[in-house]
Order: sequence, then structure tokens, then C-alpha cells
Amino acid sequence: MKIAKFLALIGLASGLASGPLAAKDWKTIRIGMDATYPPFESVDPKGQIVGFEVDYANALCAKMHVTCTYQNQDWDGIIPALLAGKFDVIFSSMNMSPARAKKVLFSNMYYATAPVWVAQASNKSNDTSLAAMQGKLVGAQSSTVFSNYLEKNYKGVEVKLYPGGDEPLVDLANGRLDYVVSDILVSERFIEKNPGCCRVVKTIPRSADVFGPGVGAAFRPDDVQLKQMFDKAIAEADADGTFKKLEAKYFKIDIRGQ
Amino acid sequence: MGWFSLLFGPDGWAPLLLRGTLITVMLSAASVPFGFGGGLLLALLKLSPRRAVRTACEAYTTFFRGIPDLLSLFIVYFGLQALLNALGNALGDGWRLEMNAFVAGVLALSVVVAAYSSEVWVASLRAVPPGQAEAARALGLDPGQVFRLVQLPQLLRLALPGLGNIWTILIKDTSLISTLAVMDLLRAASEASRSTARPLLFYSAASALYLVFSVSSGFGQAYLERRANRGYS
Amino acid sequence: MLPYLLGWVGFVFNVDLLNAWGWRLLLGLRVTAEVVLIACSLGFLLAWPLSLARRSRNPLLAWPVLAYTAYFRGTPLLCQLYLVYYGAGELRPALASAGLWWFFRDAFYCCIFAFTLNTAAYQSEILRGAVLAVPKGQLEAARALGLSRLAIARHVIWPQAMLVALRPLGNELISIVKASALAAIVTLMDLMGETRLIFARTFDFSIYLYAAILYLAITQAISQLWNWLERLLSRHLIIARAVTAPVAQTRARGPALDPVSAEF
Repeated sequence: MKIAKFLALIGLASGLASGPLAAKDWKTIRIGMDATYPPFESVDPKGQIVGFEVDYANALCAKMHVTCTYQNQDWDGIIPALLAGKFDVIFSSMNMSPARAKKVLFSNMYYATAPVWVAQASNKSNDTSLAAMQGKLVGAQSSTVFSNYLEKNYKGVEVKLYPGGDEPLVDLANGRLDYVVSDILVSERFIEKNPGCCRVVKTIPRSADVFGPGVGAAFRPDDVQLKQMFDKAIAEADADGTFKKLEAKYFKIDIRGQ
Repeated sequence: MGWFSLLFGPDGWAPLLLRGTLITVMLSAASVPFGFGGGLLLALLKLSPRRAVRTACEAYTTFFRGIPDLLSLFIVYFGLQALLNALGNALGDGWRLEMNAFVAGVLALSVVVAAYSSEVWVASLRAVPPGQAEAARALGLDPGQVFRLVQLPQLLRLALPGLGNIWTILIKDTSLISTLAVMDLLRAASEASRSTARPLLFYSAASALYLVFSVSSGFGQAYLERRANRGYS
Repeated sequence: MLPYLLGWVGFVFNVDLLNAWGWRLLLGLRVTAEVVLIACSLGFLLAWPLSLARRSRNPLLAWPVLAYTAYFRGTPLLCQLYLVYYGAGELRPALASAGLWWFFRDAFYCCIFAFTLNTAAYQSEILRGAVLAVPKGQLEAARALGLSRLAIARHVIWPQAMLVALRPLGNELISIVKASALAAIVTLMDLMGETRLIFARTFDFSIYLYAAILYLAITQAISQLWNWLERLLSRHLIIARAVTAPVAQTRARGPALDPVSAEF
């Protein structure tokens, strides 16, 4: 044990942070986000992560009396990075799918919006059946409920997977893709910024097996106490109207409506 | 919006690009002592009389020279963290070792650069005439002094061109760190282009900044080589 | 501490994973091979005229090539790939009216395009250096024999230059194999793309090591192939090598380094 502690000291000296995990006393919480998902989170010209979930997480952190820091992390690696301890919470529009629930611990749901099919504006067809997708190129962000949905229900259709949340939409607007499956609010914001590029074809019912009940914060399985802190703060933010206020600032709809 | 205000306007992206450039320069510079130093250590071990040591070092070099740098970075980034976690668990409950993304990036780059540079060091070590060390020993210098005062200066001169090549590889490899969520130059350009839908503008700007960095370090290299070769031509 | 380290080894190698997903890695390997072979061959074809233009005395020929090589060698390939892939998207109307959009629409072609231009820049410099490395006396002797310029290029310069270029060209091929992993970032399902997909699906770290082993197998195979090629093509130099080799060996094993390595 002495050797191990000595190694830890070396680690400390060489720029690794180390220390007793403040397991029972959270003072700072490091939040991981994939900031490619406006309006929920994106990077502004100052290099800061901004968006609904940043404001909301800040409000929750104020209620928990902790300092929160934000880290950007590519979506593909976001769960491994959480499990590896690079941050403590994923607060990044993560749908609580059953597959993920096996790996991480989820908070209570804080929003649930509809997944949608998006097509190029010139495409007038509303048919999104498996037959209609034959020979079409469909895009989605990789390792998402959207890509899982496509993989499960659209076998044999060519699906392009992108590291970032907005990249499939960019390629749809560029004409590289025929369809994209994404979140309704993210898609609508993209269309608002790129008028005439594309249109929302239809919403996809949130089946529990693929999409889960909605979006929640994700923790390492043993951080039960942290989950309880977040659940309590989420309930408080609901009760005192903080959530409603932030929701109104960013969205025109009730994001728990689905 | 015009390109000028996209870059230099009140909400322009030029400051982030410049900060990204600084991160890129810092990533490159911080990887030099670990990468080149580690490479020299590897090279010395490769010339060790012990076969097992030589084989292990050759295996290390072959592995990291033979796989994509992107893959090396992933392996080091997540594999090293897992190793740290194992160590942290061994330290006892409640201990946690962690690296921030920058440190992890520097370590990952250093692992790759050490493998690359060890080859350069080996070649240079072999090129220093044995008589130099023999003469130094005959003068009564101890082995440490022989290496530091006699061999190392000659070694540096011989290794400089090869290390210069690796330095330019290193500069370009820092861009791979952008996939690990460090806000380097390329990541800054990506953020700007995804936010403004102007990839041509921002990736061209990033290219220009990379070119400035690599061209100016080319001049620096030429200067160092001239300096190191004083008295030789 | 030991059980934790053993746990780490288990984290690193997981055999079941390979049974379940190994075939997908092989699919990706095929895409990687296609990208590399096409890009390197096209790059080689492009490198010849480039290296000639670079050596030209006409600045209108030499300068653009100098700028071209400076750009492709001085900036990261990933940046070039983004510029081609997302930049082409921005230029879509222009490309479509020029009848080129079908090409840039496809991620595969975008990768081929970027990798080809990149490797052509490196290969042209290799060829230029190799031609410069041919001793001047060879050229003078050939001229004295009254050979035509074409005959000199074909029978005197080119065979010797190619022998010099062989090793660096092999290294360049290996570099492109390694660089091709970037294609995954613009949605191509090559070996790296499949690896990332499987990792995202299983969160099992071993897949990266299996991919590493596959990449290592390719690069080692190329390196062996090149050793063989080099031996094959330089048989006529074997006497010269037999004379120089012992010298090189004594240097390599020279006693100078022993005190140094004894320190470690």
C-alpha cells in the first residue's frame, strides 16, 4: 500500500490530479456534454458551452450548493469517459434507453421530446416505411437512440453515422443524405438557421425498448448519492418554476409533452 | 455574413481560433520532453546487452509505429485511464487518479513520438564514433560524464534532422487530439464551421495557421541545424 | 494490487468480443484496403508530373507545385479531409453545375480525393529527392555516350532513382495505411469506423486492440514485402554490400555504447 500511495504522489507531481474522492461531500461536480447539439448545448465563439442544458444544470447546481464545471466530450466516448472518471455526470440530452441503463445510473427524467424523420425540402414524400427507404441514404449521430432505432427497424438500409449531433443535418442540407433521424427540437432549430434546406417529415413514437422514457442525467452506477441530489434538485426546479422559466426561454413547446 | 465579421466581428471566431493555435503549440511543445526524452531512453535500452530489454523496446516501437496514430491516441487515452483507475482502486476505496484531457493528450502524443524518435536516436547513437567515448574514458571521465559531455552533444547534432521531421509529424498529430475533446486549433475551426455553416472559411483559416506554425518551425529547425553544425563543414 | 492489474488485462483483451464482432472488422479492413490502394496508386501517378514540375526552371510551373506540397505537407490530413468533405458541401451548387457533385457527394470519393492529393505531395518530394540522389557522373556519362534525353531518363536516371525511392515509398504506403483511419471521422466504415461502432455498441475496450493487431499485420506485411523487393531489385549491388556490411556492423556493436547502456 505504501508503494501505491507513493505512486499516487508521483502522479500528483506529474500533473495528474489525485485525491480522496469526496464521496460523501460533493463540492464540485464535473459535467460532461457533447456540445454539438444546439439548442441544448453547443460551443459559442468564446469557446464556452452554452444552451438549455447548461442553464438548467447551472440552476440545479445552485440548488445543490455545488460548483459545476463543464467538459466537452465526443458522444462516442461519453459513457466510457464517465465510467473512466473523466467527469461525474453526463448531462447531455441522453435518452434513458434500456441498453444504457445497464451501464450507467440515471436520474429522474427531465425532458422527453419526439424523435423525427427529416428530409430534404424538395422531397415531398411522407412515406418513411422500410420499403420507401430502400436505396436511400439515411444519417444519424453514432451511438444514439436514433442510430439504434435505424439499426433495429431499417435493416438493409444504408445508414451513415456521424460523430457530432448536428453533422447529419449539415450533410442533409448539403444533399449528401436523403433522410436524417434526430431530435425534433434540434432539427427544427437547424431548419430555422438554414431556411429552406429541409423539413420535418414526421415524428417517431417513443418505443420504450429503443428510446426509453425520456432524457435524464447519467452517473456511475455507484454514485447513488449524487443521483439522489440531482433528483431532489430536479424536483425543486419543477416546484419553484425554474424549469418552466428556462423552458420558455429556449422553446415554444412543452418539452415534457411527449 | 461576410468573412471579416465572422472572424473579427464582436461574435467573431478569430479569438477562439487563436486560442486553439496556442493550445496546439502547447500540446506540441509539452510533448517534446516526454516524447523525445522517452525516445532516447528507449534507444539506449534498445542497445542494452540484455536481450529481453531489447526485445521489449523493439516490440513497443513496432507496435506504435505500425498502428494509426489515431488508434494509439485512443488506446492511450482510455487504456491509461483504466490503468489509473486500477491503481486508484488499489490505493484503497475513495481514491481516484485522473488526468485532464490536455495531460492525457500530451501523454498520448508522447507515447507515439517516443516510438518514432527512438529510431532516430538509435541511428545517431550508432553514428557517434566509438573512439570518442574511449578517449573520454581514457581522460578519466565517469560513464555519466562520458554520456553527458561527450556523446550527447554529438548525438544531438546527428539526431537533429530526424527529430525535426518528427516534430513536424507531431505538430500535425496534435490535430487528432481534437477528436478527444481538447479545444485545439482544428477543434476550434470545427466548432466555428458547425455554428456558422462556413466550413470553407474556417478550415482554410485553420490551414493557414497550421502552415504558419509548420513553416516557422521549419526555419527554426534550419537555424538549429546550422548552429549545431558549426565547426563541421 | 495484483488482482486490479489482472482486471486491467481482462479489460484489455476479451476473446468473446472477437467471435461476435470479428467479421465486421474484416468488412472494415476491405474498405481500408480499397482506400489505401486507390489513393496510393493515383498519388504515385500524380507524383511524377509534380516532381518534374517542381524541378522545372520555369517559376510558373515550380512555384504552384511548391505551394501545393507546402500546403499538403504542412497541415494536418484531418484538416484537409474536413476541408474537402464539408467544404465540398458548402460548394455544392457550384459543384453540381459543374457536374462534379456526384463525386464529392460520396464520402468514399472525398477520402480518395484528399488522401490522393496528400500522398502525391509526399511522393513527389520522395521522387524529387531520389532523382537528385543519382550521382551527377551518371548523367554526364550517359550524355557522353550520346543517349537521347528520353533514353537517359528511362535507362539511366529512373532505374537508379527508383531504387533510392523504394524504401521511402514503402514508408509512405505505411503512412497512408495509418492515416486512412481518419476516414472514419467522415462516416466511412473502414477498419477504424467499424472499430468505433463496435466500441460504441459494446463499450468493450479490447476491440481497439484487435483493430491495432489488424493494422499492425498490414503494416508489417508491407514492411516485409518491401524488404523482399529491395533485396530483389538490388541484387546487382550485393558485392558492394558485402564489402560495406562488416564496417557497419562493427560500428553498430561498437563498445562506445556499453558504458551508457550499463547505466540503465
